[in-house]
Amino acid sequence: MTDMATTAKPVRVRRRIPIRSSHHSARRSGGSSGRLGGPLSGVPWGLPALLFVGVLLVYPFFRSVYGSFFEDNGFTSSFTGLDNYARLAEDPIFGRSVLNTLFWVAGTLLLPVLAGLFIAVATHNMRFGGVWQLIIALPYVISGAATAVVWKFILTTEGAANEVLRGIGLDSWAQGWLLEWPQNTLSMIVASTWQATGLNVVLFAIGLRAIPRETVEAAQLDGATGWRMFRYITLPQLRAMTVVVVGMAIVNSLKAFDMIWVLTQGGPARSSETLALTMYRETFRLFHVGYGSAIALVLSVIVVASSWFYLRRQMPDTRPEGTR
Amino acid sequence: MGRVLRNVFVGACVVLWLVPLWLMVVNAFTASTEYSGSPDWTFQGFAIFDNLSTAWDEARIGEGFGSSLLYAVVCAAAAVLVAAMASFAVVVLPIPRPAFWFWLIFSGTMFPLQMFLAPLFGMYADANLYDTRMGLMLVYVAWAIPFAFFLIRNQMTTMPPELTEAAMLDGASFRRIFWRIHVPLLAPGLGAAFIFQFTAVWNELLFGITLSRSPEVQPVMATLTALNNAYASTGPPVILAGTLIVSLPTLIVFLVFRGLFLRGLTVSAR
Repeated sequence: MTDMATTAKPVRVRRRIPIRSSHHSARRSGGSSGRLGGPLSGVPWGLPALLFVGVLLVYPFFRSVYGSFFEDNGFTSSFTGLDNYARLAEDPIFGRSVLNTLFWVAGTLLLPVLAGLFIAVATHNMRFGGVWQLIIALPYVISGAATAVVWKFILTTEGAANEVLRGIGLDSWAQGWLLEWPQNTLSMIVASTWQATGLNVVLFAIGLRAIPRETVEAAQLDGATGWRMFRYITLPQLRAMTVVVVGMAIVNSLKAFDMIWVLTQGGPARSSETLALTMYRETFRLFHVGYGSAIALVLSVIVVASSWFYLRRQMPDTRPEGTR
Repeated sequence: MGRVLRNVFVGACVVLWLVPLWLMVVNAFTASTEYSGSPDWTFQGFAIFDNLSTAWDEARIGEGFGSSLLYAVVCAAAAVLVAAMASFAVVVLPIPRPAFWFWLIFSGTMFPLQMFLAPLFGMYADANLYDTRMGLMLVYVAWAIPFAFFLIRNQMTTMPPELTEAAMLDGASFRRIFWRIHVPLLAPGLGAAFIFQFTAVWNELLFGITLSRSPEVQPVMATLTALNNAYASTGPPVILAGTLIVSLPTLIVFLVFRGLFLRGLTVSAR
């Protein structure tokens, strides 16, 4: 990713930022020395951030990549090349974990993103719409751990979900929601929907407010209402925001850990583990440190690959001309 | 017809979203000795204060609460300061390859935490930082910097460079320009970054359970997780009371500083 940034691109790209960057003008008027400081005078200002991120995040990152080529139990380690990656392909737990991760991504795109879109559109221009949006956004600031505790209370065998089902006469539907695959993964996706939808509602609401009034009025004059208005005006106008929401949703679903860890610890029998959980269990419970690092790297590659489009759009520095 | 349908849909969603919160509050009011084994839907007593104090003292949520408050306030503030300085360097000051610096600092927020955990654990064990408050605070600052940097940098690029130029012509030093021009003008942006990172650090679990063990060091989410693992013996009312305690700070911050949250989201989605 830095390859791209270290080529001649930055200089060319900086001109695309709609304002002039003052450091160019400063350099022009003051030269490379003198009271405006030399070309390196920004370095001390960036150094603290670089030190923190470099020592505590970037170095561990490369150390993880390096460690994934070793068989390491925390005490002794030996170089095994790509063995850890070869083992991944044969590990049924890893396979289940990938499947669950796909469930999480698909489920997150299906539930919180769609629910967020519909709720935002429905509450837009509604009386007290802001209040309803606020209520749905509340769980967004509750932690994954706390959400999981509340939902455990709902999903456990004597929990609220089964109580409701029995109350309305659907006894046969009552079940141990967290005890069997795939219900456990699916019910946890529902729990995370409760938490994650608020963010999407707020983001879509921002996008809706940015739609020009003239566009809507013109469509109304042409007789567009209801579904046609939504399909041909609202949705296309929300495209830019949808990219952001979908990107964030995918990345967050791939990183989901807290809720699963607190609700099931990946169990029973590791059936509800996602890649994030599998890595944690292999590394810190089973002390397969090298193997865990390989899983972490696989997860990172998936995260970066799937956030690439979203990131590319987000960075003014690398944004292609005319997409702003 | 459409209007009715819309109102019903919104109403149903709001009710659905309130049910878990309602259950949490109602059952935290039930005395833990009188808990029937299945959830209550209406208030069954007024033992909330007993439950809160049991969670606070016996389950040691109080200790975690203090630690987390320290971590969240100090680390978010430190990260915002460091990130603001880095944004200043990348946007305003002469620095070689600003885009390279941007990606280097920003890369910290792209990868899943799993990528950092195992080496961090090893480094912390070697440096005697494992299970210390200092160790957790260092990693929280580092973890909070990238996104704060992203937010602040994005807002700094919208400031007219003439401001900096004018101050330079008047002979102000970089330090003076930073503290007298950029910090005051970006105050809402810095506030948004602080609120975001306060919430993030407060809600963080993974670093907490990986890099610390003892109750006086662990952040509150790790304490809550430990309490939850004793689900059967402690009883739901106390656990839900504990959940209420750990959720209140972020809920209050969110309700009070809605505007700043919205600002942060708008900037990050732009």
